[in-house]
Amino acid sequence: MAKEPMDLLQGTLDVLILRTLAWGPMHGYAVTRWIRERTGDTIQIEDAPLYKALHRLEKAECVLAEWGLSENNRRARFYRLTPAGRKQLKAGEAAWRRYASAVFAVLEPSA
Amino acid sequence: MSGPRRFQFPWRSRQDIRNDVDDELRFHLETRAQELVASGFSADDARLQAAREFGDIEDARQYMRHVDGSIETRRRQRDYVGELRQDLRYSLRSLKAAPAFTIVAILTLALGIGANSAVFTVVHRVLQAPLPFPNADRLVRVWTAKTDGSFTQASVSAVDLDDWRANRKQIADLGGWWFADGASGMDMTGHGAPARVSAAFVSPGFFSTLQVGAELGRLPRDNEMVRGGDDRVVVLAHGYWLRNFGGNSNVINSAVLLNGESYRVVGVMPQTFAFPSPHAEIFVPFSVIPDGATPRIRPVRIMDVVARLKTGVSIGQASAEMKGITRALAAQFPDANAAWGDATVMSLHEAVTGSVKTSLMLLFSAVSFVLLMTCVNVASLLLARASSREREMAVRVSLGATKGRILRQLVTESLVLAMAGGVLGSVFAAALTRGLVLLAAGQLPRAEEIHVDGTTLLFVLGIALVTGVLFGTAPALRSSAVNLRGTLNASSRNTTGGHTRLRSALVVTQIAFAVVLAVGAGLMVRSFDRLLNVNVGFKPDHLLAVNFNINTERHGDTTWQRYYSQVLDRVRATPGVMSAGASQYAPYRGMGERNSFVPLDYVVHAGEDRPSFPTQRVSDGYFRTIGTPLLSGREFLPTDRKGSPPVLIVNEAYAKKFFPEQDVVGKIVSPDGKNPITIVGVVGDIRQSAIARPAEPLMYLSNLQNGRVKVTLVSRTMADPLTMTNAIRNAIWSVDRDQTITSVFTFDDVVNESLARPRMLTILFGIFGTLGIALGGLGIYGVLSFLVSARRRELAVRIALGARASSVITLVLRRGLLLAFAGVVLGLGLALALARFAASQLYDITPTDPLSYGLVTCLLLVIAALASALPAFRASRVAPVTAMQSD
Repeated sequence: MAKEPMDLLQGTLDVLILRTLAWGPMHGYAVTRWIRERTGDTIQIEDAPLYKALHRLEKAECVLAEWGLSENNRRARFYRLTPAGRKQLKAGEAAWRRYASAVFAVLEPSA
Repeated sequence: MSGPRRFQFPWRSRQDIRNDVDDELRFHLETRAQELVASGFSADDARLQAAREFGDIEDARQYMRHVDGSIETRRRQRDYVGELRQDLRYSLRSLKAAPAFTIVAILTLALGIGANSAVFTVVHRVLQAPLPFPNADRLVRVWTAKTDGSFTQASVSAVDLDDWRANRKQIADLGGWWFADGASGMDMTGHGAPARVSAAFVSPGFFSTLQVGAELGRLPRDNEMVRGGDDRVVVLAHGYWLRNFGGNSNVINSAVLLNGESYRVVGVMPQTFAFPSPHAEIFVPFSVIPDGATPRIRPVRIMDVVARLKTGVSIGQASAEMKGITRALAAQFPDANAAWGDATVMSLHEAVTGSVKTSLMLLFSAVSFVLLMTCVNVASLLLARASSREREMAVRVSLGATKGRILRQLVTESLVLAMAGGVLGSVFAAALTRGLVLLAAGQLPRAEEIHVDGTTLLFVLGIALVTGVLFGTAPALRSSAVNLRGTLNASSRNTTGGHTRLRSALVVTQIAFAVVLAVGAGLMVRSFDRLLNVNVGFKPDHLLAVNFNINTERHGDTTWQRYYSQVLDRVRATPGVMSAGASQYAPYRGMGERNSFVPLDYVVHAGEDRPSFPTQRVSDGYFRTIGTPLLSGREFLPTDRKGSPPVLIVNEAYAKKFFPEQDVVGKIVSPDGKNPITIVGVVGDIRQSAIARPAEPLMYLSNLQNGRVKVTLVSRTMADPLTMTNAIRNAIWSVDRDQTITSVFTFDDVVNESLARPRMLTILFGIFGTLGIALGGLGIYGVLSFLVSARRRELAVRIALGARASSVITLVLRRGLLLAFAGVVLGLGLALALARFAASQLYDITPTDPLSYGLVTCLLLVIAALASALPAFRASRVAPVTAMQSD
């Protein structure tokens, strides 16, 4: 992962992107659409941080970028998960689940 | 990255990255806008909405560019390392594929690098490493100098030395010593066999200036080093202590008898202390020397001086100060010092190493020429290899390798070779360094400090890198400039022209270097030959010398001369001994004390010193035994003993100096104008101090009349002198079976030893010269063989058209000789320019000695002709049909 210290949001974005790319290679626009559709109104995510995260992930060698043709036949930059990215996704998911259950444990002590 | 190695786009430039990021963002924004339009937005609203959803576009753009830039940089670095590894692998493979070339190249380089590093090690340890004293860079030597500048490095009188020390300001401390190898000594008795011990007589300040403490005990205090003080103290050198006191620490505070007086041993010096000479065995206060032996007056200048500068004081400042003090002394004591109003200051390091500096630097230059030649040789091997690899290169270029890439791979190959040569070379260097020290046989100052160390290995690494680049670049540049069409389309015959020119240039360079090395060797050999033929003044063959000291306790302080005569008589009576005689010192082993026996009417001018000359005590028959001619008068007789009139024998140089054109025998001289001594004989000059130094005036006293207990007994034998060793020793022991014998040697050995340094230079230069000529010959042979095979077709056509074998041979020979001639002319010029640096190492030969230059020229031309002959012969045997078909 990128070397700079990450706040929660950044880490969250990374996991979301990696999870999205786990479906298959897609270009930046498709990634943002996918995430937007699933988070809907709950979390307002702008596109800019997503793109920044994509490039950061490329630098961390979690994704590989290549130019290709989009559905509307335009030149687009496609991102593909690398094995390192897959590993990172697993670790990120697990961390998130632990985090969430810790939060739930506080919120619902009886459960 | 994942999976199998993927095809990669060429590296992206900054501009490429900018465009890519812009494209990606534009794609996003436009696609989003299109979607929005499709869902009913107006075009303008859609664009605005897309931008709003995106957030801070410019910030993202900058960020992406930045991240992509660093991704790209890292990729470049990885590619570079990857390619380097690839280059290395490829180099190893291609070197393995040509084992003969590889082995020859590595061996040549290892020799060149090894020899160079060995000489470097010696040069570095002797000339560059600091002397083994704390802050050694602040130590200087100081001499008095004549006011008129005619003599700049004279010793100092003990009195002047005291004044120097008292008046010093910028000099932290200053001390002096008197040590003369073989001459300054004391007789030690009462401790084992009596022996002459080599002593350094030192002034207060000597030890404190050098700042070396005693290893055991302590150093003498200042009040123990002055007249009237408790100055009967002695400090032992480490080696002497080990040899004669078994390294026993009880020796401290014990008493020893020196010259019959009791001295207290106060300290032992550390092993590393070898100053002023490794031969100094004991250190005694200078103050113990009685006035009767060496008067403590200003005109008696016998002390050498070392001083330590205060921090921040330059040699120039110290020199100015010493000059000032000395000038003041000259004004204050004009009778003694008027002529000696100047001083010279030089760094101690330079003073110690100055004598070998020139020879070492000469060796280093010669060996560097050898290294250059090995570079040229390997370059030329690489070129030969390059022409056979032209197709390979062309194929690689056509498959997309860039010129830079091929160049890099070829240079890598050279560096691999150089490194292999370096590794092997450092092994050679270790062995050669030891060989050099052995060859120098005691003629090298600081030899005990010489060893291969980290500096040597660093030097090897550096020099391997430099040579790799030197010999690799030119061939690599040529090979990477492949003429693609020419090479792939047809035969290689069109593409060899450039190679031939470059190789010819290399051969000319090689020959020029060979000439320089051969001229150096020629000069050294001629000079050595002159040295061997020097008339040393005696006939060294069949002379056996036996050294011993007479024990005056056993044989009596006043009667030991009887024992001395008895020993001589017994040795003379030994069968196989033709004659025998004795002196104090064999030639080159010592000079004897200096005395100033001059004619009674000799006038010592103001400011001049009474001249003094080395004086030896010899027996009757000494000169006849060693083969020195008696020019007039007589040798000593057994009757020249105590009580009979004092007599003196002088050498020819003395006679010419004081009694030119006169009959010297019968003349009266005197040490002080009062006590007369009669000259009874004149003998031929013996070169007593060094073989290359013409004889100075020498004097001889009869040992029966004015004796010394140190004896060098010399016998002229009929057979090989060493076979007589036992017989002669037994003869001595038949008089006193407890007589210890210090050493046995032949006069031939003595002469050989004194030739050690010139012999070392001659041998090494001889080796380098031979190596140079061999490499030069190989170079010519190589380029001509190459030329002949490259021009086979042309030669075949000539032969087919009726050219005679002789004309083909002439064609090739002429080419070879032309190259040789160019090289020789260049080399002679270079040698002439460089030879003057060798002038000081040559004996009786000028650096422009025509014979050396002439011989070298002839030799190289002959070698060139021989080296050309085989290729020429092969050319004449080219069979027209096969040659033309083979392409």
